[in-house]
Amino acid sequence: MTEILRVEAMYKRFGGIVVADNIHLTIAAGEILGLIGPNGAGKTSLFNLISGVVRPDAGRIYLQGTPIDGQPLYRRARTGIARTWQNMLLFTTMSVLENLLIAPRAYPGESIFRLLLAPAGVRAAEEEARTRAMQILARMDLTSAANAMVTDLPFGHQKLIGLARTLMNDGALLLLDEPMAGVEGAAYETMQRVVREEAASGRAVCVVEHNVSFIKDLCTTAIFMANGKILESGSVEKLLGSKVLTDLYFGT
Amino acid sequence: MEYILTILVMISIFVILSASYNLVIGYGGLATVAHPIFYALGAYTTGLLSVHTDLWPPLCLLAGGLVAVVASVLLAASALRVSGDYLLIASLGFQLGLLQVIRNFEFTGGPGGLSGIPGTITGAARTPAYLLICGGLAVLTVAFVAWIVRGPYGRAITAMRDEELAFSTLGRNAMSMKIAIFAIGCGIAGISGGLYAYYFQYVSPEQFDVLQSAALLTMVVLGGMGTSMGPVVGAAILLAVPQAITFLELPPNIMAPMQGIIFTTLVLAFMFLRPAGLVGGAGRGKLPAALAGHGTEAP
Repeated sequence: MTEILRVEAMYKRFGGIVVADNIHLTIAAGEILGLIGPNGAGKTSLFNLISGVVRPDAGRIYLQGTPIDGQPLYRRARTGIARTWQNMLLFTTMSVLENLLIAPRAYPGESIFRLLLAPAGVRAAEEEARTRAMQILARMDLTSAANAMVTDLPFGHQKLIGLARTLMNDGALLLLDEPMAGVEGAAYETMQRVVREEAASGRAVCVVEHNVSFIKDLCTTAIFMANGKILESGSVEKLLGSKVLTDLYFGT
Repeated sequence: MEYILTILVMISIFVILSASYNLVIGYGGLATVAHPIFYALGAYTTGLLSVHTDLWPPLCLLAGGLVAVVASVLLAASALRVSGDYLLIASLGFQLGLLQVIRNFEFTGGPGGLSGIPGTITGAARTPAYLLICGGLAVLTVAFVAWIVRGPYGRAITAMRDEELAFSTLGRNAMSMKIAIFAIGCGIAGISGGLYAYYFQYVSPEQFDVLQSAALLTMVVLGGMGTSMGPVVGAAILLAVPQAITFLELPPNIMAPMQGIIFTTLVLAFMFLRPAGLVGGAGRGKLPAALAGHGTEAP
């Protein structure tokens, strides 16, 4: 399998707290890697380090073979890292469709010069983005919500819009931060199905999740973190049977 | 008649100024109060060029705009690294500092102001001609801002204002976008300063201090922040009302503080009763982003 992400010897501390202690990991195309661990284990921090929200103190990050650790946040996104957020961070004064239209990595319409000099090209790009956005919404059974304000949507659907936005962004790597927290019913099924389809289409996916059954259903491999360290990694079955994990989660 | 036309010229100049300020603070969400200093830079540049050179007046105006753009990029590149309240303080410092520099130079006329700016257009048709030029540019500015914020570019500005972190994680360079908005807004302010210098033939540093910032902010808030017609309404009302009350023939000791009282009362009333301004829709109850205080949690 093609390797999409490789993290080598990553280290980061905030004052006295080490949030990433010698982290090594790789994610391949088609893989869905689960990231589990108690609160404060460093899961979201790992996402922030990979996507570029914070800079690591040491270590290297490669995306499809290209070193990206020198790149700022927005450049890494252009290289191909798409992520969601625990608290979604949707654009709250905009409609569902607008939230998706802002997400593509190529956006000729956001240059004043292109708007002035090549309006036809801008229109074509807008039209193409609109078609793609509607296709993604259709896959999530959210076609009818396209023109609703995102804030008017139920919570589960808002989470799906967060995922839809990363699909519009079309990165090779998807980092999903607690996609299932607070999601139930049909939205839960949809989330699972879409994530699975995306992995099957060749994306690398990494999921932070507290919901162990979601991890069990979805992930092929998993990593167990605590105190900024990777304690165990491997197949999901192996991990869930591990004594380290059960000790930390349920006490001895 | 001449009196009314003069007020209309004044309103046109302030429509340009407040529409450009609205682009920066209302749409861009960049809480700066330094807008009058870019207006000043345009006025002084244009004034000095026309006093000392025979440059074609439209070129002097453009030069004023250009100086304002350069100064705004200098401020933006440093101050836009901070946002919200900090930007407010940084911009205030920039404004007051630069104003002190202008006050203390000989060639700017110092505290006494720059006089002797040539009339450029003379004769009976002077004021109507200026009204035509300033009014035309005001319409152009309002249309230009409305065009910018419509469509994909405006969508990106809104997204950046809503959630800068998410905006960046989608591959957008928020910093360069802020600098662009800031430069466009301040450049337009510079041009309006040039118009002011040409029409009134006199520029003094007092016109560009914090009181002017407050007046400008009032115009934008009262008219409706982040609406394209808001600044037009705001500028018209705030310039016309003080003129209108002069007809009440109140004693001077009441008249003098009247303007300040009107501004303060209007701002307070609007913040309570209609935060979205006269033009802004009452719906959604959303406060302009620059004033709403962002609740974005640190990652």
